[in-house]
Parts: sequence; C-alpha cells; structure tokens
Amino acid sequence: MFWVNDFPSLLLGSLAAAVCGLWGNFLILRRQSLLGDAISHVVLPGIVVGFLVVGGAATATALQFATLIGALLAALAAVALIELIRRTGLIESGAAMGVVFTAMFAAGVLLLEQTDASKVHIDVEHALMGGLERVVWTAALSGPGSLAALADAPAEIWRIALVYLFSAILVVVFLKELRMVSFDPAFAEASGVPARWVGFAIAAMTALAAVAAFDAVGSILVIAMFVCPAATARVLTDRLARQIWLSQLVAIIGAVGGYMLAAFAAPALGLERGVSAAAMIAVTAGLIQAVAMIATAKRRQ
Amino acid sequence: MRKTSPRPLMEGRQLKRRALLRGGAALFALGGPLSGCMQTAPKRGAKLIAATTGMVADAVRVALGRDAAEAEAEGKAFELSALMGAGVDPHSYRETRADVATLLKADAVFWNGLFLEAQLEPLLLKLAKDKTVVALGEATPTAKRRAHDDYAGRYDPHVWMDPSLWRYAVRAAADAITKLAPERASRVKANTAAYLDELSALDAYAKRVLASVSSTRRVLITAHDAFGYFGAAYGYEVVGIQGVSTESEAGLARIRSLVDLIVSRGVGAVFVESSVSRRNVDALLEGARARGAKVAVGAELFSDAMGAPGTYEGTYLGMIDHNVTSITRALGGEAPARGRLGKLGEKS
Amino acid sequence: MDGAFWAEFGKALLLQAGWNAAVVCLGAAALGAGAGVVGVFALLRGRAMMSDAISHATLPGVAAAFLLVSAWGGDARALPAMLIGGSVSAALGVLAVQWISARTRLGEDAAIGTVLSSFFAVGVALLTVIQQLPLAGQAGVERLLIGSAAGMLDGERETIMIVAGVLCVIAIALTREFAAIAFDPAYAASLGWPVRALDLLLMALLLAIVVIGLTTVGLVLIIALAIAPPATARFWCDRARPMALISGGVGAVGCYVGAALSASGDNLPTGAVIVLCLAAVFALSLLLSPQRGIVAALLRRRRLQNRVHLRQGLLAVARSEPIFDARTVRILCAAGYLRGDGAPTEAGAVAAKQMARDQALWNLYRDLHPEEAFALADWSLRPIDEVLPPDLVAGLMEQLAQARRGGIGAA
Repeated sequence: MFWVNDFPSLLLGSLAAAVCGLWGNFLILRRQSLLGDAISHVVLPGIVVGFLVVGGAATATALQFATLIGALLAALAAVALIELIRRTGLIESGAAMGVVFTAMFAAGVLLLEQTDASKVHIDVEHALMGGLERVVWTAALSGPGSLAALADAPAEIWRIALVYLFSAILVVVFLKELRMVSFDPAFAEASGVPARWVGFAIAAMTALAAVAAFDAVGSILVIAMFVCPAATARVLTDRLARQIWLSQLVAIIGAVGGYMLAAFAAPALGLERGVSAAAMIAVTAGLIQAVAMIATAKRRQ
Repeated sequence: MRKTSPRPLMEGRQLKRRALLRGGAALFALGGPLSGCMQTAPKRGAKLIAATTGMVADAVRVALGRDAAEAEAEGKAFELSALMGAGVDPHSYRETRADVATLLKADAVFWNGLFLEAQLEPLLLKLAKDKTVVALGEATPTAKRRAHDDYAGRYDPHVWMDPSLWRYAVRAAADAITKLAPERASRVKANTAAYLDELSALDAYAKRVLASVSSTRRVLITAHDAFGYFGAAYGYEVVGIQGVSTESEAGLARIRSLVDLIVSRGVGAVFVESSVSRRNVDALLEGARARGAKVAVGAELFSDAMGAPGTYEGTYLGMIDHNVTSITRALGGEAPARGRLGKLGEKS
Repeated sequence: MDGAFWAEFGKALLLQAGWNAAVVCLGAAALGAGAGVVGVFALLRGRAMMSDAISHATLPGVAAAFLLVSAWGGDARALPAMLIGGSVSAALGVLAVQWISARTRLGEDAAIGTVLSSFFAVGVALLTVIQQLPLAGQAGVERLLIGSAAGMLDGERETIMIVAGVLCVIAIALTREFAAIAFDPAYAASLGWPVRALDLLLMALLLAIVVIGLTTVGLVLIIALAIAPPATARFWCDRARPMALISGGVGAVGCYVGAALSASGDNLPTGAVIVLCLAAVFALSLLLSPQRGIVAALLRRRRLQNRVHLRQGLLAVARSEPIFDARTVRILCAAGYLRGDGAPTEAGAVAAKQMARDQALWNLYRDLHPEEAFALADWSLRPIDEVLPPDLVAGLMEQLAQARRGGIGAA
C-alpha cells in the first residue's frame, strides 16, 4: 500500500513543492511572489480554448494534452503582459498581476458562456488541476524496483521530474546571472547581462513549473509553495545559494510532513478519512514560515 | 524604514545535508509501517465495495441488501464504503488519501461517470484495468442520454433525476454484485426486483402528480441546469439560470428573459437547490415582482446532492419523492403533503 | 453586435432594461466607486493584491462558522454567521500581513502571498473535515460567501451605496494622511500622526469593501475593482487626491457601462463583462495617456531622436561633411535644409552656421563649467539660449568672440 498509494503522492508532492520553491526564490527577490496565484487564474481561458480546439468527442489523453498546452500558452501570455505593464515603470508587480489575471479570467468565463461550452459539463477546475492523493502506482504491486513497474509509473511524476531537472540545471548553470538580475538589475545590465531577458526567463520558467505542478497536485499547494519555502529561507539567510538550499529543504519537509499529518495524524485524532493532503502541506509550509519569522522578528520600530 | 539583518540561524551546509537525509529517511521509514497500520482491513472474507456519490451508493445498497438485520444474518459479506455522504456535492468533493486507499483496496468500485466526478476519472479508469469498476450513469443507453448539440460524446450526467433511467443504474449495480459474489445471486435478484418495483411506483407517482399541474404552468425554473432528464421524462420545460459548467456565470439578459417567461406564462413558483447559492433565484424573483408577477420560491430541491444523511430525503427514493412532491405542490398541482409514502420530513 | 444589441444597450444605460439590470448598474457603479477610491491608497501603499488575500482569507472563517453553528444546532447556512466568520478570519489575515511587513524583511507581496495561501489552505482543510461529517446543508459551503454580479439584490444595492458612500467620504477626507503613510511614513510620524492606526484604518476600509464586494459580485470582480481603476488612474496623474477621484470615476463608469452591456445581449456573464470593460479602459490609458502612456512615450522618444538627427545633420553640413544616415537626410530635406542631391539650401546653410555656433557655445560652457554641464539634461540638445539664462549666454558669446579673435578655439 505504501508503494502504491503513499510513495507516489509523497514523491509527487515533494517534486512539485521543490520546483515551485526553487523558482519562488527569484520571485520573492523580484517582488513577484504572487505570480503563482495569478497563473492559477489565467489558465482558465487556456483550458477553455484547449477544450474548444479538441472538441467534446476527443479522447481523454487528447483532451488532457490540449488542456496542458492551452494552460501553458495562457500562462506565458499572462507573464508577457505583466512584464509589459511593469516596464512602463508606473505600475508595480502586484497591480500588474491583478489587472492581467482578472482580465484573462474574465475572458475565459466570457468564452465559456459565448461558445455555449457552459452547457457542457466541463469541470474546469479538475480539467487541469491534479490531485496529490489520487496519484497511484498500481504497477508497484509487483515490486517497485522492477522495470515493468518503473515503466508504468504515473506520467505526472515523469512530467514534474523533468521540469524540476530542467529547472535545477538552469539555476545551477546560470546562478551568477540570476543572482545579479534578482538583486541589482541595473548592475547586471551594465555588466552585460541582458537583465530583461533573464527576468522574462524567470517568469516563463515559473509559468512552466506552475502549469506542471497544477497538473500534478492542484493549485492550493502550488501557490503556497511559490511563497512559503522561499520566504522562510529569505528570513533565515542573506546569501542566495544558501537560500535556495533552505527553500528546497523547507519544501520537502513541508510536503512530507504535511502529507503525514493529513493522511495519518488526522485519522489518529478522530477524523477517519483524514484531511486534504494538499491543504495540509500548504499549512505546514506556512507554519514553518511562521516559526522562522517569529524567531527572526525585528523589534517594533 | 531601516530593516535590520536577521540573526543567522543556519550553520554549515554539512549539518543541513545530514539533517535533511536523516529526517527524510526517518519520515519515509515511518510511512511504511504507518500506512500499514492505517489500513482498516475489511472483515475476514467480506468484500469491500466502494461507491462515489450518495446516489450511486444508494443504488449499490439496493443490491447489497438495505436491511441492517439482513446484513447481520448474512455475516457481513459485503462492506460498503461511500466516499461522499448523502449531502455532499460531487463537484466540490476533495478526496483524501484514505478515500484513495479505499478505492485501491475495494473489490469493486461504483461511480456515476459521464464526467460528473471529473476529478476521479483518471484514477478510476486506471483501476478499471484490474478490478470491477462500473459507471452506473453510463448504464443508461446512449440513445436515452441527453447529448449536447455541438459536442459529441458529452452528455448531461444528471441521469438520476429520472427514475425510469435510474433503473439501468440499479440493474447494472445488481449485475456487477452478482458477478462478484455468484453465491448471493438469488438474494441480489430478490432485492433488486423489490427495489425496481419501488422505482416503478415512484415513477408512476411522479407521472400522476406532475400531470395534475396545468400544462401552461409546467415550467421548472431552477438555479442551474441540472433537471434536464426530469423535464424530458415528465413533460416540463426546464430552465436553469446558470449553466452546468463549474465556472459558468449568469448574465443579466438571461435573468431578464426568465422574468419575461415568468410573467408571460404566469409561473407561480421558482426553485432553489441545496447545493447552489440561492442568490440568483432571489434576484430573479425581485425582477419578476417588479413587473407585478406573483411568484415565490416554491421549494428547495435536491439536485447534485441528496438530503441530510439519516433522513428519508437522504435516500434516492426520498430525494426524488421530495422533488416531485414539492414541485407539484408549488406549481399548483395536487400531491400529498408528506409525499408518496407519507414519509417526507421525518427521520427514516 | 447588431442594431438590436445597441438599442438594448441604450435602454440599459437609461436603466430601462428591466429591474435587475437597473439594480446591478447602480449597485455595481457604487461598488466600483468605493473600491476605486479605497484601492488607490492600497495601491500607493504597495498592497494592490491585498484584496485577493482578503477574499481568500474569508474561507477558513466561513468553514469554521459552519462547523460551530452546526455543532450548536443552528441553521448553518445563515448568511450573518458566514459573514461574521469570514470577516473575522479576513481581519486576522490583514493583521498577519501587517505584522509580516513590519517585523520581517519580507516585502508586501510575500506577506500577502503567505497569508493568502496559508489561510486558504486552512479553509480547504476544514472543508474536507466538513465533507466527512454527516452535517446537513453542507453542499456548496465554500461558495456561500461568493456572489455573482447578475444576482445582485435590491437590498444589497442599498447597502453597497451606503457603505461605499461612507468609505469614499472617509478616504477622501483622509487623503493627505493616507498618502503620507504611503509615500513617507517617517514624515507622517514626525507630524504626530498615528501611523499604525491610520494604516489599520485603511486596511479596515479595504476589508469592508472587499467583503461586501465578495458577497455581491464575486471574487474575481471585486479584486479587479480594487486594482484596475487605481492602476488606470496612475496613468493620468501623480497626486493622491486626483488619482482617487479619477479611480472612483473610472470604477463607477466602467461598472455601469459593463453591466449595461451585459444586459444587452445573450451569453454575456455580467461580472466578466464588467472586468473586461475596466481592463479595456486600463489598456487604453496605458497606451494613449498623453503624458504617461506608451504611445506618448514612444512619440517623445521619436521626437528626441529627430532632434538629435537634425542637430547632428546641421553640424555635419556646417563642417561640409557628407551625411550617410538616411533618416538624417530625410529630416533635413523635410525641414528644407537640404536639397535632393545632398547639397544644402540657403536656409540650410544659415541654419548650419547657427547650429555650429550654438554647439561652440555649448562646448565652451562645458569646458568652463563641467559639472553643471554634466548635470544638465539638455546640454547640447536644445539651443543654448532656450536653456541658460541670457546674461550667462551673453558672457559665453563674448568669450567665444574673444577666443576667435585670438585665434584659439574653432567653431
């Protein structure tokens, strides 16, 4: 049961948390922590368009593929629009995000109603959003180490693992540039680093990680993981490399700890069915951050 | 404001790495035995049946035998685990780890299908390869499903609204249970036959009382588009303020056209639902009353969720009975206040 | 969008498109005004997304209220209980954001993000608790506090108008104070103003309008109302009071027109249409605002470049150098300084000589007063007598003439 039910969930949760926590480090330095939340809303028009393009009779895999692509394109478009608005220099990130995500979400709802897709039972939230607990590795029953089992491992895990690997490589290889651009874009520009492009790349990778993570574990966990691990690390250290390591640590502890609390501690306390693991992971990460913030809080000025 | 630098709390990388590895290993190691002891194994020899929605669980219970004493006598050959309680809306249901474990351990899984439980679909399709997984809603013949004009392959999932269609679901559940436990075939057959008779009686009751509403007034205005099968079965025009998709939002023009409908047809009652906010309906009423119409909320109907668990309305028969009786009485037809069996409003 | 649509639209604008449309037009307009005015100060304070956090932070309160009222045997779906529960948890969220911003090194965005995600997660966890308890009336709990614009009731419209009115009065009366705590809290404190209390008051105003908006028009629309009109106003002015007024106006008109549009045709979800109207106004302002818009900025840049081209071109003419840059040639020809074959006209020769002299003066100025020259944005970009005071220019001209007579310093 552990290998079939819990291990994939733990792995998926950890990977999703880690990849979001990773990009969250740069978001928090650029004052864009809420980008994850914004992206969770802008995917709606992408999903609706994906559905419209493929049609109602499409196979489940075709629909899922269309949904993912649509969501990703919408996320990238949103990120580009947000950057455009920021570059006027008059609107700060939060407001830019707010305008873009509400407008795109509204466009999605309008599209839904105009194309009569509202009459069709599209469960929009579940079209894209995955669920941590419902990832199972049935092939593991024949032994988790076997090749057959590995070949049949849930596709979400491969997808998110790939995105994480890609992200980790990018961060390691370009750490210097990322650090410069995040802390002092003007200096970066002066040193020959194309700060604007790096900034856009960070946002684009955030979009990719967000969509992959939504697909794997749903939105609640993702939004929290873009903020809490990096924020925890930020209050504990000044140095970027250390911050990144810490954020990964917090992400994984949050994922594993939260899952354990939801799946086992809650039933032990009387709630037979447990509680939502994704929600508990987010809560755990928040608690870790709270502890860190209280421990390092400044005196009232 | 001057921001002071925080007190450093982390020492060396080595310490962190070791702690991470130790901690991770400990948690993973703990997971094994913990998940083992959290398994509630079904009683020895008993087969575990999992059902998703309340309506589906209800149909499955028919085949398994509704009577508690009967189950006792049979030595608890089956254990039914309903994921969603009677009053839970499938759209907002969030499955937990324990629920998934139940599905994995079950010998048979019953669900509605037709995209109602969209969140569980990939998992259930995966499970279908190794065990009995039955979509009761899909037992309805394709010809009798309400299809969408533009989107082939997409049907309205609310088939439980029509008892004559729900028969297929009940029979499909019975067939599956019989295959699972052939030795109980005769019991299952008897239970199912008795229940199908009840369904027929319910259907007949519905036809009778709903026909007592004058034909001009056979308009069912509800909060969202869940009653299509009901309308088709009993000759009612069904109009929902909001669409069926989860993100659907109503527009003012729609409310206006419904106000026109109410005024032109002299509709005396509109209906709210237990699982959807009643605000849009209240706004509709205000608009209609501003035009001088005499209209009110007729009743609260059960659409995506049944009534409170433990009550008559918390069963399928009671849910439909309640809907049919309330609609009839609200629209000026004749129906007994306590429903077909006189059980409405009491605990079963 | 045919004639019938626009005819309906006209009627809707005059509140003649039915009772519901009239209620929504007026109610939404009032909400737009209130959120627009209060939102400006939140925007200036760097807390634009606070409305998002407040909206999400209501969920744990709603779920907890449901559990408590069910436990006590009451009607768990009663709106007042939900409203109180939601407001309390949202208020706690606001206080948490205040604390995080003030006492840690995290920025406003991280503080808002933390509260948004953690509080909402607690709410969802409570929802999964509710779903496994045999509680009656639990279907749709999470949407109990979420309204939709088309379903606005007359009583709600009244409440909105009163509350929005009060909030606008307070916010506009305290414009100076709110602006001060946004731009320069130290200055405000030095004036003896209670900075923290004012901050909390502003957040309380925002909380009130967001909770009311959440229940009447839904989550996405109230967030849009609190952010888009203020952001739009940002492209028209810099100072807080005009910004607040413009924002309130944009919010009110945008909502009114959006609601009227939604009433004019089928399949136009009201909240979504209003958001798109406000977004359109924002986009237009972003592009077309005369001073701060993108188009204006591009035009300014182009004008500047043209000026540089003209200047350099004339200087090249004065030095009898050939001009290779096509754009420079175009500009000079258009000004009548250059003929088609590349030779200067009479006017061109005169202008070139003047430009050379002007440049010589600028260069002299730079040699004599390097620091001032470096600090001047317009050094060598505009004619020297348009930038420097006349006596200074006269002195430079005198010095130049002397240098020329003495043979030192070339034109």
